[in-house]
Amino acid sequence: MSNPSATELPIGRTYKEGFHDDIKTLKTVPKGLSHDVVDYMSDVKAEPDWMRQFRHRSLDLFLKQGIPEWMPGLRTEFNYDEFTYYLSPVDKSARKWEDVPEEIRRTYDKLGIAKEEQKLLGGLGAQIDSEMAYHNVQESLTKKGVVFLSCDDGMKEFPEIFREHFAKVIPPEDNKFAALNSAFWSGGSFVYVPKGVKCDVPLSVYFRINAEQFGQFERTLIIVEDDSFCHYVEGCSAPIYTTNSLHAAVVEIYVKERARCRYTTIQNWSTDVYNLVTKRALISSKGVMEWVDGNLGSKRTVKYPSCYMIGEGAHGEILSLASADKGMWQDAGAKLVFLAPNCTGRINSKSISGHGGRSSYRGLVQVAKNATGCRAQVNCDALILDERSRSDTYPTMETNGNLATLEHEASVSNVSEEQIFYLTSRGIKKEDAVSMIVNGFIEPIVKELPMEFAVEINRLINMQMEGSVG
Amino acid sequence: MSNPIAKSSVETLARNEPAWVANQRRVAWETFERLPLPSRRDVDWQRFDLKALQLDKLAASNSNPFVTASLSSLSSPLAAKGVLFSTLPAAITQHPELVREYLGKSIVADEPAKFAALHNALWDTGAFLYVPAGLRIEAPIEIEYRFQGDHAAGFPRTLIVLEAGAEATVVQKFVGGPAADVKLAAASVLAASSEVFVKDGGKLHYVISQNCGPNVFDFTLKRAHVARDAEIDWVVGMFGGSLSRYDVQCIMEGEGGMSYMYGVGVGDGQQQIGQFTKQHHRVGHTTSDLLFKNVLRDQAASNYAGIIKVEKNANGTNAYQSNRNLVLDKQVQCDTRPILEIESNQLRCTHGATVGWLDEQQLYYLRSRGLADVEAKNVLIEAFLEPVLARIQVESVQREFAELIHHKVVR
Repeated sequence: MSNPSATELPIGRTYKEGFHDDIKTLKTVPKGLSHDVVDYMSDVKAEPDWMRQFRHRSLDLFLKQGIPEWMPGLRTEFNYDEFTYYLSPVDKSARKWEDVPEEIRRTYDKLGIAKEEQKLLGGLGAQIDSEMAYHNVQESLTKKGVVFLSCDDGMKEFPEIFREHFAKVIPPEDNKFAALNSAFWSGGSFVYVPKGVKCDVPLSVYFRINAEQFGQFERTLIIVEDDSFCHYVEGCSAPIYTTNSLHAAVVEIYVKERARCRYTTIQNWSTDVYNLVTKRALISSKGVMEWVDGNLGSKRTVKYPSCYMIGEGAHGEILSLASADKGMWQDAGAKLVFLAPNCTGRINSKSISGHGGRSSYRGLVQVAKNATGCRAQVNCDALILDERSRSDTYPTMETNGNLATLEHEASVSNVSEEQIFYLTSRGIKKEDAVSMIVNGFIEPIVKELPMEFAVEINRLINMQMEGSVG
Repeated sequence: MSNPIAKSSVETLARNEPAWVANQRRVAWETFERLPLPSRRDVDWQRFDLKALQLDKLAASNSNPFVTASLSSLSSPLAAKGVLFSTLPAAITQHPELVREYLGKSIVADEPAKFAALHNALWDTGAFLYVPAGLRIEAPIEIEYRFQGDHAAGFPRTLIVLEAGAEATVVQKFVGGPAADVKLAAASVLAASSEVFVKDGGKLHYVISQNCGPNVFDFTLKRAHVARDAEIDWVVGMFGGSLSRYDVQCIMEGEGGMSYMYGVGVGDGQQQIGQFTKQHHRVGHTTSDLLFKNVLRDQAASNYAGIIKVEKNANGTNAYQSNRNLVLDKQVQCDTRPILEIESNQLRCTHGATVGWLDEQQLYYLRSRGLADVEAKNVLIEAFLEPVLARIQVESVQREFAELIHHKVVR
């Protein structure tokens, strides 16, 4: 059933991406996780044997691993057997927009994807459910040797590079959800930027879940070679159902010497989606990694983009923005792990909780033995909009036998009456005043986003603000 | 005759006690037996090395407790006004009804913590201070707990009650323990607790210093209940013991209540220092401020974890929490985990944590003014700790702290 009009939630957030389209399923599997599903996926994808073995091993690891105590609820809130682990409405990833099936194109038109490709982006990928429906990169970039493919195609077309780097940053042993992804991964991107190539325009991918009770497990592998630059942007959304969906992605990034990579996420899942993501970058000497992580949707997000600094003088930076509205728990944060001397890192987190939402910052700054002279700075600010909402800060800093300088600061506050009074006394409506204060609060992070995304964030935040002040 | 850490020792203690005390002990012992020994799998214990801890090698007491409490004498005018200050066992005998109203009401018999439960089951010495309403005591009241004996476990328990509008200064010291040069099969254990009740408008200044000898594992729980317009300021000094792990908690129960929590830890050798603080705002319009500073050298390790918890409808809370660590040597291990859990919105909560070493420029400045390298370092270290020391309102104790720090830091 197609329902293009915006879906209204009782209060607060208006989620215009909450529609659902009827899209014909070409390939799918029965609900639940099993080794048969793994075999089916490997068959359909005609994968090399090592990948099939890897998937089976990962599934075994998933079944064995527990969920840490600090992830309350995730043990009991859903049943893994209620999800479909593979579902594809497309045959292959198209390189031309015209080749994408019409009904999928219609979905993306409604979301406003693709319109922007020509003028703004160096490449665009569009994933629906398990598979990439579209993946294309500008010719000028291809000529420089930049590879931007779906992860499945990356494995086929660049088997050596792929195998050398795949699952080395985040092995399936890392955590339960990484193991789940490793067993059922499908879609996502493979990005390779050769030495010395600056990829000035962003590469963008949009993830859409359309099916109900579905598990999306995209996998992204980004390799930025020495002295290169790349900016990768992802967005996502899903329909509003009454049942849950699961999104467990794994993103692995290699930032080689003196290279720089920026990874921007605008996460806007519907409040049916459990978003349990592992993202990690390995940064070589003098490399720079920047995560810009915006979390505005989902029922529950558990995501801590991480920077592992393995070369001297590497720099890792995480800008995290979370907005928890009704029915959401944004358990977002960041990790800086210093494994080499003289590295620097910074975490800047801003969170907003309103309409009974809960946002938590959970962070780790860890300095290994022999990683001397490292410096890290962490700033967390939280804004609570009403008395039903909640905000937590759980930072950890660990140093092991070295001289590191670590700083952490956090504050939690409300939109004060004084601020509102000041603005209303200047003739600004109360609602606009709150919006203005909130937008000012998140501005340091929003200004780091590409223009179009900044506008989108402001729109989404303003929507969540509606009816915040009584 | 030495008593092991066992049910039989609980019964020996319970023999001459009122039933309600004996029952608390039995419940506590059951709790102790039920709880597993903390291990590195527990997030609050993962940085502590408990290998030297072997409870079965320790005695809970022999003919006397291993910890003796000596109390400063109470002037007769104060006693005449109704101030009670005695050992805890004496207080239970002389004022059973009054003590019963408070003892075990905050640190309950089934307190879900291994060493607190052990303490609750086997406490054998302690102090009781009761200040009646409206009475202000100028002179500091001193409690000294002296630890004696090897392979020993001591359990001093402190109960402080300040009635409405009362004010007092309490200085509590922990000293003694096995000598440094004795080779021991197992570390001795000191498991202490303090229960503090500050009623409406009361004011307690509470200074604690722990300077036990090495070979002591110190597990201490201190909890204060702060009522309407009441105030408590703590200064905790952690200097001795091979491992000392303090839980310091304040529970804000009345509007206008204030808690100022200050701490200093100085670790050298292979000392392990743990500071676990809690600022629990049950009601709104309450204030808490916390500053814990540590100086670490050699292979010392420190682990700070502090939580500010603001419950629903505790609007008007103002809470601050800060942990600063100064690392002097490369082998030091230093963790800090400041936590906020906030469920109200009309409030302001902030926290900060730092780990850093001495600033080269500041050292250079001091050296360029003719200070030797060592002197320059000492000046900076002492300046770093000064904000905590300045909070101690008893001059002689402040001097003592300064000397202890000087003694440990200056090389």
